Amino acid sequence: MDRKLDDIFNECYERIRSGESLESCLRSYPQHRAELEPLLKTTFDIGRRVSYIQPRPEFKHWARVRLESAQRYPRQQTPAETPGASTWWRHSWAVAVTVVLVLVLTTGSAMAASSQALPDQPLYPVKLATEQVRLALAVSDTQKAQVQTELVQTRAAEVEAMANAGKMEEATKAAERYNDQFEKAIAAIINAEGTEPQPVVYVPPTETTPPAVTAPPEVTTPPEVTTPPEVTTTPAVTTPPAVATPPTTATTDNVTAAKTKHWKGSLEQSTISSLTALKDAKEKASEVAKPDWQKAIDTVSKKSQKKSPTATDTTSQSDNDTAPSPASPSPTKQSPSKWHR
Amino acid sequence: MLSEEYLVQQAVNGNQAAFTQLYNQNFDRIHRYIYIKVRDRAEAEDLTQDVFIRALESISSYKWRDLPFAAWLFKIAHNRVIDHVRKQSKEKRAPLEEAYAKSVEDPIQMTERDYEVYQLKAALEQLPDAQRDVATLRFIGQLSIAEVARTLGKSEGTVKALQFNATASLRKALHGKLDG
Repeated sequence: MDRKLDDIFNECYERIRSGESLESCLRSYPQHRAELEPLLKTTFDIGRRVSYIQPRPEFKHWARVRLESAQRYPRQQTPAETPGASTWWRHSWAVAVTVVLVLVLTTGSAMAASSQALPDQPLYPVKLATEQVRLALAVSDTQKAQVQTELVQTRAAEVEAMANAGKMEEATKAAERYNDQFEKAIAAIINAEGTEPQPVVYVPPTETTPPAVTAPPEVTTPPEVTTPPEVTTTPAVTTPPAVATPPTTATTDNVTAAKTKHWKGSLEQSTISSLTALKDAKEKASEVAKPDWQKAIDTVSKKSQKKSPTATDTTSQSDNDTAPSPASPSPTKQSPSKWHR
Repeated sequence: MLSEEYLVQQAVNGNQAAFTQLYNQNFDRIHRYIYIKVRDRAEAEDLTQDVFIRALESISSYKWRDLPFAAWLFKIAHNRVIDHVRKQSKEKRAPLEEAYAKSVEDPIQMTERDYEVYQLKAALEQLPDAQRDVATLRFIGQLSIAEVARTLGKSEGTVKALQFNATASLRKALHGKLDG
């Protein structure tokens, strides 16, 4: 019995994919040449067009960052954060801590002063402590992500301030703090995303039983809680734009997605502004000091460039290959994407 | 080079580096597959990331004997795209032509390559669902016939027939536009 044409077509397609020429395959089936040739040429045409689809380098970079963060900080499959007893107690505890700390810190206006403190100033440890209060007040994953993202902005402002002042050692330390805070923010954002209700996964009909794609458990949306009181602000000299809470008139899914995108855009902007300041400082520095400034630049870059032991790529840590750098097309100026809308 | 099956086994056992390697091997083609099936780049990027995060979360329960890894990954992508399109349908999804017109500020500035990709998207969109699924997994995802069959839960014979018919339809759509 003659083979079906669709089977022959498939064989030729496979042979050509393996390196054989079109002509060689057509010679095997001269009686079908007229039908096979245009169809096989169409597969070439499709392949050529598909080759034009390449992920943007910035997207690949941030997708990799996100994956590595997800590997380091797996989503916590916690129950929905509904206003129940445990949440109430946690909230109460946070309020109690806040009240005590605020009472202590507001004495002598220490807190107000500390909110402007830079890393080289005596009140800086107080500023860090008040940030912990803000974090304690953040009850839901969404609030935590919001605060952690704002703290990345604060750390970025400190890097900028130290770099602009030419304080290399302080700038390097600030870059390390930025690095740590960035990772915390990424983890918090991923957790916040995990609280988004997941749609039911469609499984096409099949006779075999492939492994089910485990969908995250259905969770309800965390209750909208009023933003905790502003306990600290970023340094006055380089106050970054506040991480505004996106409008809440859309659906819950859309709101969560919009917030997530906003946070990620904010993180990128913070990285760019930190790197810009550090690179400017490096330019102005003496030749002897340039390597030290480069270390600070690398530290900020490293937050998203950490390599897994067997990763095949060999991206260096120099500022030349830092993905979202001001020299490269600014992510904020790109068309919309997961990180840039 | 380590075999894919070995890498997958390592990843299942919690080896993050192995998962990262699988990620590197499959990222571009998953992105291409999703890109061709959704409205625009932003949607494709969102869904691509989501697919790999879901794969990471589910890898510990993956079993090679049930489904080859690439097919498993594309199945996640396939399901995510379907969910996404369904959600968009509820929000009165605009036709591709309309969505495209809105996304391109100045068609004159659109590169020839972008236009060719758009033509391919539009041609695929005209296909019946079953043909489109096979064509995208086969020609864009570069899966084997067996993998496509396992991903879609169809027989290999059915997949070959759908592939043949899809190619004939695509030829008509693409060359018709080019010739016209």
